[in-house]
Amino acid sequence: MGAVPALPAFQPTDFPGEVTLDHTIPERAAETTPLPDDVAPALRAALSARGIDRLYTHQAAAWRAVRAGRHLVVVTPTASGKTLCYNLPVLQRILEEPQARALYLFPTKALAQDQLAELGAMARSLPVQLRADTYDGDTPAGQRNAVREAGHVVLTNPDMLHTGVLPHHTRWRKLFSNLAYVVIDELHTYRGVFGSQVANVLRRLRRICAFYGSSPRFICASATIANPRELAQRLLEEDGVELLDRSGAPRGERRLVFYNPPLVDRALGVRRSSLLEARRIAAPWIKRGVQTIVFCRSRLQVEVMLSYLRASLAPSLDAGRRVRGYRAGYLPLARREIEGGLRSGEVTGVVSTNALELGIDIGSLQAAVLAGYPGTIASTWQQLGRAGRRSGSVAVFVASSSPLDQFIVRHPEYFLGASPEEGLIDPDNLLVQAGHLQAGLFELPFDEGERFGRADVRALLDLFVEDGVASRAGGRWFWSQEAFPAEAVSLRRMAADNVVIIDSSPPRPQVIGEMDQFTAPVLLHEEAIYLHEGAQYHVDRLDWEEKKAYVRPVEVDYYTDALMSVNVNVLDTFASREEAGLERAHGEVKLTSVAAMFKKIRFHTHENIGSGPISIPEQTLHTTAYWMGVAPELSRALPRDRFEAALQGLAHAIRHVASLRLMCDPRDLGSVAEVRSPATQRPTVTVYEVYPGGVGYAGRLFELHEELLRGTAGLIRECPCTAGCPSCIGPLHTIEGAKEACLRLLSVNALAA
Amino acid sequence: METAYGTAWRRDDLVACDLPARRLPIGYVDTETTGLHGGTGTYVFAIAICRPMAAGLQVVQFFLPDPASESAFLAATAAALSSCETIASYNGRRFDLPLLATRWVMARMRADFQPPPHVDLLDLTRSLLRTRIGSCSLRAVEDRLLGFERDDDLPGWLVPEAYLSYVRGRGGGQLEAALRHNRQDVVSLHHLHQRLMVRLAGDDVDMRAGDWLSLGRHLLRQGRRADGWRALRNSAELLEDEHSITAAIELARRLTRRGAARSAQALLEWTAGRLPPHPHLILARARLLEWRLADLALALDLVERSLASGAGDRDFRRDLERRRARLRRRLNRRLDGQRQRLQLASGDRGAEDVHQVRVERSSGLRRDPLERLYR
Repeated sequence: MGAVPALPAFQPTDFPGEVTLDHTIPERAAETTPLPDDVAPALRAALSARGIDRLYTHQAAAWRAVRAGRHLVVVTPTASGKTLCYNLPVLQRILEEPQARALYLFPTKALAQDQLAELGAMARSLPVQLRADTYDGDTPAGQRNAVREAGHVVLTNPDMLHTGVLPHHTRWRKLFSNLAYVVIDELHTYRGVFGSQVANVLRRLRRICAFYGSSPRFICASATIANPRELAQRLLEEDGVELLDRSGAPRGERRLVFYNPPLVDRALGVRRSSLLEARRIAAPWIKRGVQTIVFCRSRLQVEVMLSYLRASLAPSLDAGRRVRGYRAGYLPLARREIEGGLRSGEVTGVVSTNALELGIDIGSLQAAVLAGYPGTIASTWQQLGRAGRRSGSVAVFVASSSPLDQFIVRHPEYFLGASPEEGLIDPDNLLVQAGHLQAGLFELPFDEGERFGRADVRALLDLFVEDGVASRAGGRWFWSQEAFPAEAVSLRRMAADNVVIIDSSPPRPQVIGEMDQFTAPVLLHEEAIYLHEGAQYHVDRLDWEEKKAYVRPVEVDYYTDALMSVNVNVLDTFASREEAGLERAHGEVKLTSVAAMFKKIRFHTHENIGSGPISIPEQTLHTTAYWMGVAPELSRALPRDRFEAALQGLAHAIRHVASLRLMCDPRDLGSVAEVRSPATQRPTVTVYEVYPGGVGYAGRLFELHEELLRGTAGLIRECPCTAGCPSCIGPLHTIEGAKEACLRLLSVNALAA
Repeated sequence: METAYGTAWRRDDLVACDLPARRLPIGYVDTETTGLHGGTGTYVFAIAICRPMAAGLQVVQFFLPDPASESAFLAATAAALSSCETIASYNGRRFDLPLLATRWVMARMRADFQPPPHVDLLDLTRSLLRTRIGSCSLRAVEDRLLGFERDDDLPGWLVPEAYLSYVRGRGGGQLEAALRHNRQDVVSLHHLHQRLMVRLAGDDVDMRAGDWLSLGRHLLRQGRRADGWRALRNSAELLEDEHSITAAIELARRLTRRGAARSAQALLEWTAGRLPPHPHLILARARLLEWRLADLALALDLVERSLASGAGDRDFRRDLERRRARLRRRLNRRLDGQRQRLQLASGDRGAEDVHQVRVERSSGLRRDPLERLYR
């Protein structure tokens, strides 16, 4: 360590906006206890060599619980020594019993890589040969066999477990026969659809363990959420999971600031861009050498912010090297390099999506700036927690104009007082379960009376037989298809065939990244300006068949933004109610979305300087949705354009209120307004789940209907704008009277409901 | 037949055919499966083993009537396999054997699956025939090497469905065709192996430069140096096409490694004198002259003549140009040194004469290079 790192300063009077919260979280001293007596001498020595002679109280408690053979979930803040909670008992067990194996699950490859380094450092100072490896898409084919045969600890992710390990379990006999522990880190990420999927992957894992005669203990670690024990118990389908949520780790004093950028146009409710304000806060810190992380909401924003920051730093600093982007589209090697640079201090500023919110070890940062609300209270705490391992750190949340941001920034007491989100999962979502039941059937035949986790799947299995997916023989069900079912199920929205981004400029074409199929039409359409590591690329050609985008570097003063249009087709109505002319329902829908055009927007002024068409085949999505057909007489009472604006405003606002009520990420929901829906034959607003099949949010919204309408009306009424703004009824409404019309729509419907 | 795990379905056939006097004690094995993905949900539903007997080819086939009787099927299969001294398959190393091992674990069989020593004919076919037939699928090999065409055969990709629809109780119309397909495969494997053995011995009548080259490389990889050498030599001597050139370069490389760089050069010159100019050969000669024989003048001469002839593509010419520049530089440096030494010794013979001497010597070698090289 060199000089004392500079401290970030934040002077509210330097900024024109409003500081709605300036809160200091006090320092807390460490609570430690001596190493438990039963820690093996070799392990004791290894710990001592790393300067660890005492444990934090929560680490010691975790040790006791795991040694007593209990399933465990540890909930402590970022950087509180969570890793040791599981590494210690796992290493001890391997020392006692060299045959024993452990499986670590992390939500991302990068995280597994990071933990491998940590575990490797510990293992090297032990007197035994201990092999720990990551096993994921980056593992070279030549090494895979050695990992399968000899790895004591295998670090992987749920996706790899799902398609690469479980369906080939006979090659992993050693692991599954001797599996003592399964570690699930970042448990809180396994909620919603992803969590429901992972719960089913774990059902399959446990069937396979039973086949090989092992019964592993589960050690979970999670960031703060409202219901860690419930989530763990639902995920593992176990009743007796022990919860440890009292951290003994020390914490520096840190300052928490909520900042609402100034209104630029009161009438339109337009505030200064949160990106520009975030830059204004972060740039001076980075310039002074304060290690700062800036979180943005999307990949696009990351790149825009990166070019802003670099522009404001150069030439006094080597900006390209000191300020780096970090997001999902970068190649693994580049990410490793950036992580290393953060740890060594060579990188001063990093701009990230939520990829870094997870516990990647990047040493201590002094400042965090959140450009926009991350979507959930839990993520917000995690991102804010990135700064603050040492005293004197500052974390600033800069609100954007979105309804959710405005709600949070105007009600900081809600944020501080509210318990964070609950992790909701539904492992029995029929579509999710059916997909994994097929994969499970592929892995092992089902016996008469056998359950899938806790679910009774007899009816599904019989259905499979009818469909020819399974066959029955000797009282058991067998897989009877040529296909490989795990491949048909993607745990995340990320589709299997990503679009590869190729820089076709001389000297030779080079792959610079990749992007999932659903984002690609928006960011990689022809003539798009694609931003990568702060550099601009023009998309010359998008070969949708081959999933390749050919780009070349350019320097222009604008970026592009694509618009999607969505059509709703109702396939099945699960429940509906009609009261006083208002119809609401939820059910299964097919959405077809198409990105039809894009706009060119000038940097800084954000003026629209041109547009063009996008020709990419439409994407379809099967999911569940909740919709309401509003009173048709209103459409006749209002001018057509005002009515349309009101309907769209309602769709915009209700989606945000819905995500707040459901405690889910607003990106999990989408909404559409149709002036005349083919399904209801009237003006209709549809709120749909973005994930195929949904996880039951739609049904819940149907139940919450009245609350939802009241909340939406409240949001719009309390908004300080005069005629509707992005913070209430959405960005495109400059139509006079739209806000009033929207409120009228709501009052009529709320009365009806 | 009965096994410790219950009844297994077995069918025996005897295929009459002309067998060579020396029968190989090998069981030819092929499986039919419910998919090509592998993984734990892919079943082996039929396995055929073909063994040469005095009377012809014995073909034993086991069939899995339903997935529940897999243990009996595997037990019977393993018993039949272990009665073979060795087994041969087509891509068994990567596909059939690992899949059988997987099934073995899945069916909770006792002990480990231990098949007899195994030779994969796909590997052999690839090394001997790829240059000739391109695709090495068994179908292509049957067609192009064995001259055997199946007329009513079920295409391979329909085989899993033929079985699965039988298992699902939706008619097994295609199943018999799939099983016949399986039995035919092992007979073909036997014939293929015979053919490959003949070729390995170098006794095939229609072998061309490419075939000799493949064979030579294969034999050298196997450590059969004398036979491999002879095969490469045959390829080079046929002076047919690119393959002959490749063989000559390969031989030259090996000669050089042994310290016989002069012989290597003689061989390359001999080849070059009889075939149209070829970039690979020119480069090989230039490299040898420059780096092994240190005959910069001759190397430069070769490069300059090749450039003047206008042969080859752009990359090749660019390579030659770089080479020419470097050779000139090195030559000048050496000539300077020589001049100094010559002045010291008061001699008057220049570099030109040295050049002449070498050219004479190498053209003297050209007359009967191969005899001299290999005798």
